[in-house]
Amino acid sequence: MSRTRQLIARLRDDLGASAPMSLAPPLPRIPEPPSRVFPRRQEGSRYARESAAHTTALLGIGHVGTRYATDVVLQFQAELAVAHEAVAAELPDQWATENGLIGLRSRVQDHREFLLRPDLGRRLDEESLARWKQAGKRGVDVQPILADGLSATACIQNGRALLESFTKSCQARGLTVGVPVVARYARVWLEDEIGAVVGAKVAAILLGERPGLGTGDGLSAYLVYDPKVGNTDGQRNMMSNIHARGTRPEVAGERLAVLARAMVDQKKSGVDLDLSRLTAELGEAASRVPRAPQVRVRLVEVGK
Amino acid sequence: MILQPLPPRILSVRRLPNADPALLVAYGADPTRHRSLGLITVDQDDPTYVALDEATKHANVDVVFAKSFYAGANHASGPLSGEILGVLAASTPTEIDDGLHALVRCLESDACFYAADEAKKTAVFPHVVSSLGHYLSALAGLSPGDAMAYLVAPPMEATIGLDMALKAAGVRAVKIFPPPTETNFAAAWLTGPLESCEAAAVAYCEAVVRVAANPKGEVWGS
Repeated sequence: MSRTRQLIARLRDDLGASAPMSLAPPLPRIPEPPSRVFPRRQEGSRYARESAAHTTALLGIGHVGTRYATDVVLQFQAELAVAHEAVAAELPDQWATENGLIGLRSRVQDHREFLLRPDLGRRLDEESLARWKQAGKRGVDVQPILADGLSATACIQNGRALLESFTKSCQARGLTVGVPVVARYARVWLEDEIGAVVGAKVAAILLGERPGLGTGDGLSAYLVYDPKVGNTDGQRNMMSNIHARGTRPEVAGERLAVLARAMVDQKKSGVDLDLSRLTAELGEAASRVPRAPQVRVRLVEVGK
Repeated sequence: MILQPLPPRILSVRRLPNADPALLVAYGADPTRHRSLGLITVDQDDPTYVALDEATKHANVDVVFAKSFYAGANHASGPLSGEILGVLAASTPTEIDDGLHALVRCLESDACFYAADEAKKTAVFPHVVSSLGHYLSALAGLSPGDAMAYLVAPPMEATIGLDMALKAAGVRAVKIFPPPTETNFAAAWLTGPLESCEAAAVAYCEAVVRVAANPKGEVWGS
């Protein structure tokens, strides 16, 4: 029975009428959603088919009349939910200590401010700065920094694995590694200040990247030679899509160490860094060969 | 037996899959976006406005035309005229079908007038739209998804009822249509939180019933 009909029936009882109200005709049975399933049709164009296989972008998804197919809509909504959840996630206060790392934070007060004020996320707050001056190991080659960035989910899921593989690979290449820290409410440029305080040659920040559709667990890494406040993005080298379906953390740690070694050897980073002799070690990161296809994770199954 | 639903009668439902552009323009549609029309006549106008709005929530349709006929269904120009002609417009006939299905479903099982007296001479429409579609929300200057109480009764009953409704709950009058409307009723649209809209509709309905039962009030005796 519709809401208005319920309300009026109740009022009728309240007003003391004795005979029951006549019933509305029953609502038609609502079919189980989705009421009609339109299976994905095989895309006719070979170009569209090939392109779709090489990306998780919404390519070649087809249509049913003026609408998307049911499974496409449901998948899109599910993927958007994953991304929203990742943006809204926060690193728990005690996460740093539980994982045996030094916890620092930026000048941001709360999560909302973090999203609205990138500038505050690029500098350490007073207390963290003082603590880091005490605890940091000076004069190291590489200062690794783990951070929440725009996806604390990614930091929690893959952060430790990436940090460990990166540290090990650096040491294997003869680089000294600083005390690992975890920064909360951190933007990429925070690595400049953290690295500068301990006078590290290279600062490497590993942080959750802006979630995309269905990817809430992706990490990015930004490396800079001679970290100091005021460095630009042209002086950084970065690697994105570090997660199980993209570049796995173990592989990424290895490649980042190669980059760090190259920066220390060439005494520069970013656009000026010469990667031409590192193609073999960096794999697809330095080559121009098309990437291997990424697998789209089906969050919703329809019509099975 | 009071507050019996007075079910609306659907007098005609037709579809124009590929309407002439001149016709589209005359009925308020946009030939660049609309091609198909769905038309319906019903013997109750206000439930139909609600049902047309309901259709916009279920299909990609626009309500381009909806007008009540003067003096209501009892003075109709023909057996199919009823009290209102409503027109949905869309780019394809499939959308029109989906819209008309939602519209008919709403008329059959949701929106309707109720008899406020034993003789079924007084009709009241104390309807709560829990979530507006883009048709009524645009008319009311509200946002799609807002709650709205859509209240209609004959002039005297409506006036007393509206005062009760506004005082019964935290609602705000969006539009008040004093008598006479085309059909010689009076109406009001109120908005607020859903619970408030519901309380307002119930208070309105109760006031209409009480006025119908005691038209001359305490002072002049019944």
